Amino acid sequence: MIMLENVQFAYEGIYSALRGVSLQINTGERIAIMGTNGAGKTTLIKHINGLLRPQNGRVFLDERNTAHMSVAEIAREVGLVFQNPDHQLFLDTVEKEILFGLKKLGFSEEEAKERSSSTLEKLGLTDLIERSPFSLSGGERKRVALASVLASHPRILALDEPTIGQDALQKRYLAELLMEMNEAGKTVIVVTHDIEFVIEYFPRTIAMADGQIIADGLTGMVLSNSKVQELCSLTSPQMTQAAKALASYFPTVSDRMTQLDELEATITQILEGGRI
Amino acid sequence: MSFLEVFQYTRKDSIIHNLDPRAKLVLAFSFASVSLSYTAIIPQLIIFCFIFPLIVASKSVRRWITSMKGLGALLLFILVFNTLLSTSTTPFSYSLALTFRLVNLMTSFSLFFLTVHPDQLSQALIQMRVRFEFAFAVSMAMRYVPTLANEAYAIMDAQRARGVELDKGNIITRIRNIVPIIVPLIIVSIRRALSVAESMESRAFGASQNRTYMERLSFRKRDWAVVIVSLFVFIVVLYFNLIIGLPEWMFYGLPF
Repeated sequence: MIMLENVQFAYEGIYSALRGVSLQINTGERIAIMGTNGAGKTTLIKHINGLLRPQNGRVFLDERNTAHMSVAEIAREVGLVFQNPDHQLFLDTVEKEILFGLKKLGFSEEEAKERSSSTLEKLGLTDLIERSPFSLSGGERKRVALASVLASHPRILALDEPTIGQDALQKRYLAELLMEMNEAGKTVIVVTHDIEFVIEYFPRTIAMADGQIIADGLTGMVLSNSKVQELCSLTSPQMTQAAKALASYFPTVSDRMTQLDELEATITQILEGGRI
Repeated sequence: MSFLEVFQYTRKDSIIHNLDPRAKLVLAFSFASVSLSYTAIIPQLIIFCFIFPLIVASKSVRRWITSMKGLGALLLFILVFNTLLSTSTTPFSYSLALTFRLVNLMTSFSLFFLTVHPDQLSQALIQMRVRFEFAFAVSMAMRYVPTLANEAYAIMDAQRARGVELDKGNIITRIRNIVPIIVPLIIVSIRRALSVAESMESRAFGASQNRTYMERLSFRKRDWAVVIVSLFVFIVVLYFNLIIGLPEWMFYGLPF
């Protein structure tokens, strides 16, 4: 469980990036954090693994105050994948890159090898194992960076904009992998602007604006709220748009649907001439 | 990286900021060459007494202090290693003078970089008949220093998140820990350079041979005054060094 208590943070005292954020994330949740650029999303997840320390307020990881833990200690439990993969890749083969992090976290040679190869396989990188990360495409580099964190099997996984530069298929693989890890009991947190990705895979959404949490709850509820859409500069999800269009013809239809199956059921019902 | 702050332009309204960049360049070089010509403590302290008021006049004391704090480790390193390895009869005194000399050098060049906007710098170079492409490259390099520093912080964060402990371990581990920082930094810089070049070309960089400038620098009386005083001091010091020789007390050092 992650708990943030009234966390405040300002960069160099110039502007406040977080103005009193309180939040609880339970073990095994799948959470999306959404908001405009500069809303404080990245600052928030950097507090979870201790890269940033709250200037006010506290961060707890399973009842332990992270103020007393080093980043390396927290890194064993919280894996953070950054937006820009080029900030972490530095070795000459993909495999070495994955093994580096594992060794730093204290895994034995054998176990590191095993974890590395299974993670690379899951991310469809097995063919690239001997390639230099620098010769890969942007999307591939992003997956290598992801693999380097996933391989350590952290209990909590936080990803900053994981879907940028990924094609639809890779996005689905990524989602499947995240689901799989989540089913194995891991907590998954993503920061993203990809509204369809969130709707499909993340039951809970936190909306942020101007360093504060403005909404926290079921994804469908949060994202179909017009105030949230306005403050977070979101366009309404396609499902909601479809639901609204439907509702304008059939007044009894809810205009807040976000899931495909909901919409499907409603349309089938209408087509069958049933009452809604 | 905070020691680089003193080389980063800050927009302020001060006497030093308003000087012509060419005058400041002469000033910085004459201070730097004067301090380079001594390895004794007292001359370095005297030089410092002349430069520091200029930092005060440029309203940048706080930035200077941050930088010196950031430089602290390196200064200490120079002090310790020179003391241990020097063949001088008074190694500590000699190393202390070297340390002061570095501070003076940093401070004199910071007077220039702290107060000259990259655009002004390239304009100054162009008016000194440097080719535009070269002048542009120099001002770009200056412009990217803070960007690079931010990038370095982001990379450190990314590596720490993978379990690299940057501030732990003995000196060998620490030096080895630089590799995961420096390699991505170089790669990111090269990638950026390539994309900047491409975007410049797509905006027709170098399309016409004779380009014009909206603002031109002009030398005013106070700029001439700065140049004349700087050169005068430089020549006087040179004269003392080569012909008369400094008085004995100037070379007084600590006995160890």
